[in-house]
Amino acid sequence: MRSWINLLGGMLLSQISYGQEIDPDLVMAKERLDAIASFEADLDLTVDISFVNMPPKSAKMSYQKGKSTTFSSEDFILIPKRGLDFSLSEIFKYSFITVDRGFEQYSGRTCKLLNIIPTDSKADFSIASLALDTLTHQVIFSEINTKKDGAYQMLMSYDDNQQAIPGRVEVSFEIERIRIPLQYMGKEVEVDKAQMKAEGLRRGRIILEIEAYDVQLVK
Amino acid sequence: MILTGQSLTKTYGSLSALTDVDIACAAGTIYGLLGANGAGKTTLFRILLGLIKPNKGKVIINSDRIKPLGGIIEKPAAYEYLSAQQNLRLFSKIQKAPADKTTIENKLKAVGLSPERKDPVRNFSLGMKQRLGIAIALLNDPECLVLDEPFSGLDPIGIASLRSLIQELATKQGLSVLVSSHIVDELSKVCDELIILKEGQIVNRGATQEIISACTESYLISGPEITQTDLWEKVDAKMLRQSVQVFVGAEEIGEIISVLAKKGIQITSCTPEISMSKLFDTDTK
Amino acid sequence: MRALIWSELYKLVHQRMTYLALAAILIIEGVVIFSAYFQGNTILDILLDNLRDSFYFEGNLLNGHLLVYLILNSLWFHLPLILMIVSAGLLTTEYKDKTLQMVMLQPVNRTSFLLSKYVVAIIFSLGVVLVLMVSSMGVSYAVFGGGDLVVYLGSLNFFPHEEAFQRILWAYGCGTLTVIFFSVVSVTIAVLVRETTIAWIASAFFLIVANLLLKVDFGDGWFGKYSFVKLNDTWQQLFYQDINWTQIHTNNALILGYTLLFMVIGVIVFKRRDLL
Repeated sequence: MRSWINLLGGMLLSQISYGQEIDPDLVMAKERLDAIASFEADLDLTVDISFVNMPPKSAKMSYQKGKSTTFSSEDFILIPKRGLDFSLSEIFKYSFITVDRGFEQYSGRTCKLLNIIPTDSKADFSIASLALDTLTHQVIFSEINTKKDGAYQMLMSYDDNQQAIPGRVEVSFEIERIRIPLQYMGKEVEVDKAQMKAEGLRRGRIILEIEAYDVQLVK
Repeated sequence: MILTGQSLTKTYGSLSALTDVDIACAAGTIYGLLGANGAGKTTLFRILLGLIKPNKGKVIINSDRIKPLGGIIEKPAAYEYLSAQQNLRLFSKIQKAPADKTTIENKLKAVGLSPERKDPVRNFSLGMKQRLGIAIALLNDPECLVLDEPFSGLDPIGIASLRSLIQELATKQGLSVLVSSHIVDELSKVCDELIILKEGQIVNRGATQEIISACTESYLISGPEITQTDLWEKVDAKMLRQSVQVFVGAEEIGEIISVLAKKGIQITSCTPEISMSKLFDTDTK
Repeated sequence: MRALIWSELYKLVHQRMTYLALAAILIIEGVVIFSAYFQGNTILDILLDNLRDSFYFEGNLLNGHLLVYLILNSLWFHLPLILMIVSAGLLTTEYKDKTLQMVMLQPVNRTSFLLSKYVVAIIFSLGVVLVLMVSSMGVSYAVFGGGDLVVYLGSLNFFPHEEAFQRILWAYGCGTLTVIFFSVVSVTIAVLVRETTIAWIASAFFLIVANLLLKVDFGDGWFGKYSFVKLNDTWQQLFYQDINWTQIHTNNALILGYTLLFMVIGVIVFKRRDLL
């Protein structure tokens, strides 16, 4: 009987701690994102990686809550593994705590900066930072330090204050310099090993222009 | 003279192929260039035909034709994968000679080749190739024909046929023909004049019959019963199976033949046996 | 000259060697397409390995363009080799069969004759490259379709379908100049050595040495910039993101200059030399 009381007490305590430590602005922003059931979008992708020369590409994106986002294009496109998670479901998937870091300017907007620290070891990130516009409840910036895929940042801008889906997302990430065996090189290029080593890790960027339509909200 | 070579000299390193050779060819005359293998016949012909340049001397061609000289060097060389007609058309076109079907067929007929044959030249006999070579050499009507060893490798029928073709070209068309060989019999039967070449130098030249007579030491008389007469006891003769080698000069052979005829002894042939040492060593210039 | 060119073409189309060479080239092309297809996936895996960490890929890069690009990489050795054999054979077979002597006994200008050989070697090379271009592109696009082309030249360069097609056409154009250069060289080699087998060996040797030297870094000196061995892969310049047309035009002008130089050498030697 005593053990049952202990268990009930523990559950109650954990609910209280969750309720206490999640920033209310983040909860509101999350609720806005969670309200989107599905949408279609036209994407313009611009890859900005020093060793990748790729012209801007177009693609179609299809989002359905709880399902994998799908993309289609007539061209070959690079779709960032991170950065298209508009619902931030990856962050909110497991329990976490938030730490208020005060206010900072992002894209000319005063945003509340929050650190998100997962409390569940199953989370695939170690720490994330979110910058929220507390007036519009839009996520303006995020930086997520993943356990496996390095750190990446997303800078989002919105067509208007009502939009939950950003009109432009700039995803920055770390990427290793390409290393290709000589026999696969189209032409003998100068190989500077020292330089290659020094430049082993580079930053890459992909800019997504999003024109969402057919947005369906959860009923 | 249609073709004149003056003081022609050619050396290959330390080897002297030709030394101060003078040669002249007139219209309608067949010249025979006689020499052993390596005597310089082909070198001389190559110089005359402009294939190689002499170290000394010059070649004078007295003709205003598009092609003053026609020739075959060493062996008739046609494109083996083409037919005779195709070869003739190709060689006609490159020298802007008429290349229509009738002309080509007539040219082939003129050298005794059938215009009906459409197969590649590689199937031809050497004699036929030789004829095709002559047909090619005769394109654009040259005034002088230079034939290097044309009888080489031909069978007796081929030799006889080619001989009559050469004679016809000289007599009917008035061509000057220069023929080389290392076999004196072949040249003696067809040439008006002989030029003897030895080690790159002309050692003897003149009218064929004069040279043959001057260099003949014996005659070979053949017949089925040629040995059955006492005549041979009176002259210097050597008995062979069905022939006798008689060591007499040109002035006596006629008398011997008439005696044999009177005795009713059948003669199948009488050929002069030419002394090679006389032919090549005696300078009768 | 026109009659001589006609006669050279006439001989070329009537020779079995011509068709053997064409068959060999088409077989090589087939093998190259086959291996390019199987090599293509490996190459793409290696090229895109780093990007795979950060991106999902949508679309097909193992397409006709990539195959044609891989064919382009392979062909510029095999193709000149066979064309050099045929081109050298245009003259050496005539030496061997004594038909050259027979031709020279006709009222034919030596310079015109040799120039007609060069012209026919060039026409044949152009024809073969055209056949290869049409067949390789035809097969590749018909079987594997179009799409973006990815090329690694220090960086990963992606070209959209239309642009890739145009770049490939230009690359074939530049490559053709190289092929013509080697064909002309082989005719000159034939003039110099006269014997068929020696001419083939010398031509192959020339091609191999040129290809080996192409991979050696001679720096920014004269040899590194302007020697013909360094001009043989000008076609690759077409696959840089920003095409350096000045460089390409300079290289092409230089390779044409070298081609003419070898032709002039051939003509001078052929005119002066005794015909044995």
